[in-house]
Amino acid sequence: MAPDATPAAIPRPPLVGRLRGLFSLAVVAGIVVLAFRQTGFDIAALFTGAADFWRFFGRLVPPPSEIGSNWGTYLPQLAKPLIETLQIAYVGTFFGTLLALPLIFLASANTALDPVSMWVARVLLTVLRSIPDLLWAAILVPILVVGPLPGAVALTMFSIGVLAKLGSETVEAIDPGPLEALRAAGAGRLATIVYAVVPQVAATMVSYVLYVFEINVRASVIIGYVGAGGIGFTLQNRLNFFDYTGVGLIIVVIFAVVLVIDGLSVWARSRLI
Amino acid sequence: MSRPAATYRVPPTPPHVRRGRVLAVSLAVLALALLVVVLATMNLPTWERVRSGLTRTLPPLWRGFTHPDWEVFPFAFRAMLETLFMAVLGTLLGGVLAFGLSFLAARNLLGGTAQAAPGKALLVAIRTFPEILLAIIFVAAAGPGPTAGIMAMGIHSIGFLGKIFSDVIEGIDQGPMEAIRAAGGNGVHVFLYAVVPQVLPEFASNVLYRFEINLRAATILGLVGAGGIGGPLIQRLQFRRWDDISTFLIVIVGFIVVVDFLSSTIRRRLV
Repeated sequence: MAPDATPAAIPRPPLVGRLRGLFSLAVVAGIVVLAFRQTGFDIAALFTGAADFWRFFGRLVPPPSEIGSNWGTYLPQLAKPLIETLQIAYVGTFFGTLLALPLIFLASANTALDPVSMWVARVLLTVLRSIPDLLWAAILVPILVVGPLPGAVALTMFSIGVLAKLGSETVEAIDPGPLEALRAAGAGRLATIVYAVVPQVAATMVSYVLYVFEINVRASVIIGYVGAGGIGFTLQNRLNFFDYTGVGLIIVVIFAVVLVIDGLSVWARSRLI
Repeated sequence: MSRPAATYRVPPTPPHVRRGRVLAVSLAVLALALLVVVLATMNLPTWERVRSGLTRTLPPLWRGFTHPDWEVFPFAFRAMLETLFMAVLGTLLGGVLAFGLSFLAARNLLGGTAQAAPGKALLVAIRTFPEILLAIIFVAAAGPGPTAGIMAMGIHSIGFLGKIFSDVIEGIDQGPMEAIRAAGGNGVHVFLYAVVPQVLPEFASNVLYRFEINLRAATILGLVGAGGIGGPLIQRLQFRRWDDISTFLIVIVGFIVVVDFLSSTIRRRLV
C-alpha cells in the first residue's frame, strides 16, 4: 500500500444530531445577543473610557510610608464589627439548623407524615431558598430594627431552606433496611427516626451544618450593607465617606476572615466523612 | 393460644456507639453554651423596641402581602428579565474565562501537581472572595449599573466553574487522545476530537447549574447598585411599599422556580 493512499472517507455525524446541535447553538447565541442589547453590557468601556476604574484600585492602598500608621490605627476599630459579623453567622446557623430538623423529616418522601404536609413543607423550603440571604436581610431590616437582629433572622431563614433541602436529599437516599425493620417491629415514628435515620445521616448532616456556616459567614460580612449589622455596615459607612484606604483594609479583612473560616470548615468536613 | 411472655435481653450498647453519643452530646452542649455567650454579648435591641417596631410594621406589611399591587407587575417583570440577561452574560463571561484558566489548573495536562498548584490556588482565592463585595467594588470603581453586576458575577463564577472544569479535564479517558496521536493527529486534533467531546456535556451542565446560582445572585446585586431588579426593590423597601414588594417577590420567586425547573430538565438530558 502506498504511504500516501487517500484515507477512507470519515463518516459524518447523523443529520438529526447536527441539526439539533445547530439549533441549540442558535438559541443560545440569540439569547446572548439579546442580553447584550438589553443590559448595555460594555466590557470595553472599562479599558478605554474609564481610566478611573483602574485608578480606583490604587486608591484602596495608602501610600507606602503611611501603611503602618493608617492600618495600625484603623485595624483595632474593626474588631467589634467583625465579632458582630461572626455572632450573626453563628446565631443564624444555630437557629437555622434547629428549625430545619423537623422540616427535613416532613419533606422527605420516606419519613413524611402524609403527602399533603410533605408538599407544603417542600413548597415552603423552595420559597425560603428562592429568596437570597441579602434580600431576606433587606426585607427584615425595616421590620426588626436596624442592627444584628434582622441579620441573624435573615440568615436563619435562608439556612432553613438550604439545610432542609440538602438534609431531605440525604434522608431520601438512606438504606431503607433499618427503617423497615423498625417499622415491622412496631416502633413509633420518633423511634424510627432516631434509631434508623439519624445514625445514617448524622455525619453528613454535621458536614452540611458546617457548610451552611461557611455560607452564613460569607453572607454576614455583607448584610450590614443594607443595615443588618456587622462589618458590612462599616464598609458602607467608609464608602459613603470616600475613605478608600479604609475600604481597602475592610476588603482585606473580610477576605482573610472568609478564607480562614472556609479553610477550618473544609478541614473539619474532610475529617467527618 | 397463649404462651409465657419471653424476656429478651437487649444487648449492651457497643463502645463505638457510646463514644459517638458522648461526642454528640458534648458537641450539643458546647454549641448551646456558645449560643448563650453570643446572645448575651450581642447588641440586640430590647424586646420593647422590637415589639413597638412590629406593631408598627406588621399591619401594613400584612395588608401589602395579601394585596399585591398588580399595576407594577409589568415593570417588575421587565426588571427581572434584565436580571435574567445579566445572569446570562455573567455566566458567559465566567464560563469563557474559566475555560481558559481550567487548563492551567489541570494536573494531567500540565504534567504534575506542582505545576497545577498556582492555578488551583488562584481558583480558591476567587471562589472565596464574596460576590457582593466584588459588586460593591465594581460599582465604586465603574459606577452603578448592570455592567458592574455582570463583571462581579463573571469574576466570581470563574472560581466555581474553573474548579469543576479542571476536575472534569483531570478525569478524562486517555484512550481517545492516544488513538488520535497514534493516527498522526497533532495537538489541535487531540484537543478538538478527544478532549472537547469528552468534556463538553459536563461543561455545559455545570454552566447551566452556575446560571441557576447566578440568577439568584443577580436579584440581589441591585441592592448595592449593580443593576437588575434589586435596585427598584431596595427603593420600595426604603419606602415600605409592601404591596409593590410582594409583587416583586412573586416575580422573583416565580422566575427562579421556572428557570430552575427548565435548567434541571436540560441538565438531566445532557449528562
